[in-house]
Amino acid sequence: MKTSKYLAIKAALLTVVMIAAFQPSKAQIFYNTYINVDWQYNVPLGSSFADKSSGWGMNFEGGYFVTPNITVGPFIAYHTSIKPIARQTLELSSTEALTTNQKHTLFQLPFGAVGRYNFMTDRVFQPYVGMKLGANYAQMSSYYYIVKQYHDTWGFYMSPEVGFSVFPNPSQRFGFHMALYYSYATNNGKVLTYSMDNINNFGIRLGISF
Amino acid sequence: MTIKKFQFLLIVLLGVTIASCQKDPSTSDLQQDYLVYTAHDSDVDFADFNTYYLPDSILLIGNSDQTEYWKDADAQAIINAVVANLTTYGFQRSADKETADLGIQLSYVKKVTYFVGYDYPYWWWYYPYYWSPGYWGNWLGWHYPYQVYYGYTAGSLLTEMVNLGADQESGKKLPVIWDSYIGGLLTDSQSLNLERTLNAVDQAFAQSSYLNK
Repeated sequence: MKTSKYLAIKAALLTVVMIAAFQPSKAQIFYNTYINVDWQYNVPLGSSFADKSSGWGMNFEGGYFVTPNITVGPFIAYHTSIKPIARQTLELSSTEALTTNQKHTLFQLPFGAVGRYNFMTDRVFQPYVGMKLGANYAQMSSYYYIVKQYHDTWGFYMSPEVGFSVFPNPSQRFGFHMALYYSYATNNGKVLTYSMDNINNFGIRLGISF
Repeated sequence: MTIKKFQFLLIVLLGVTIASCQKDPSTSDLQQDYLVYTAHDSDVDFADFNTYYLPDSILLIGNSDQTEYWKDADAQAIINAVVANLTTYGFQRSADKETADLGIQLSYVKKVTYFVGYDYPYWWWYYPYYWSPGYWGNWLGWHYPYQVYYGYTAGSLLTEMVNLGADQESGKKLPVIWDSYIGGLLTDSQSLNLERTLNAVDQAFAQSSYLNK
């Protein structure tokens, strides 16, 4: 039921994007701007609370061309990483112990500003380098038995990125987007006996650009 | 569609997408294993106790307003597992409740769900036939003198150790000094439930090595 809800929402969003992108009267949906909608595959680095790579995430961003090559705008992204934990005994305190299997999830939702320097903006292939800065909300969760135990955390977020967009027909400015990113966030938290000190990731984004 | 309408629609859809974006993991496989939680009073030296009294039945906690006890072969197997672990740790079972140092009470939650917290440990007030302090002596009530949090759900086994040497002449409450909560014992297979329960009882004592005399 939940999966079909996700698909319906994403299908509707993409439909609107496609309709807008192919409007014949506009080269760009908003004058002098770009918009990217991406699916992302994220790989946690280091001893993360939930260190399995996954594709449960998306990225949305836009930017205004303040110069012919420099764009500045907002972004928001989200990602969920999941890690199964085999049954083990945890010393919860000096008087409590818990034996259980678990599933850990780390949900990240960074948002803020993104700046990019774009090369060859009049070509079909348009590479760029960029930097995202902002805040990162992250929820550490442990699912065990019938319980979900979680901790909400906030931190500073930064993410350098390189990528490119390809516009097969520049007059309609509907193209494809690919990026490689690294991200660092200062979130700290603890659930049960597991602690998290900063979040590091790298990953790839694939999407559409218009 | 005008640009303004599109902007509005895009923002709404983006908001809805973000709001529903967190992926929940499948938890069905988490039910395929048992959970064992134990807690104890760190001010107690368990080496000070030698004998315990353990009734030959397990209290069933359900929706019935009548006292129900579980006494069949499966119940005896669970009781024997508790006895075996206590014997391994150096305690002796006593047939005399009046002279035993400790009382052990076993309860199986059959249907109901309660939540127990250190700051609100009185759920049994709603269950009239739970192990009452009067069963053990003249205590006014009983309490956990240490931090304890867990939920009671159907398919759970609760084991509590009470200190029968505690003062009962001056209006004191009967202290629980060790407890274990075992969950995940409600599959369709009775034999699997029993196997899990016996393994979990062993685990409860394995993670409570401070009981060893």
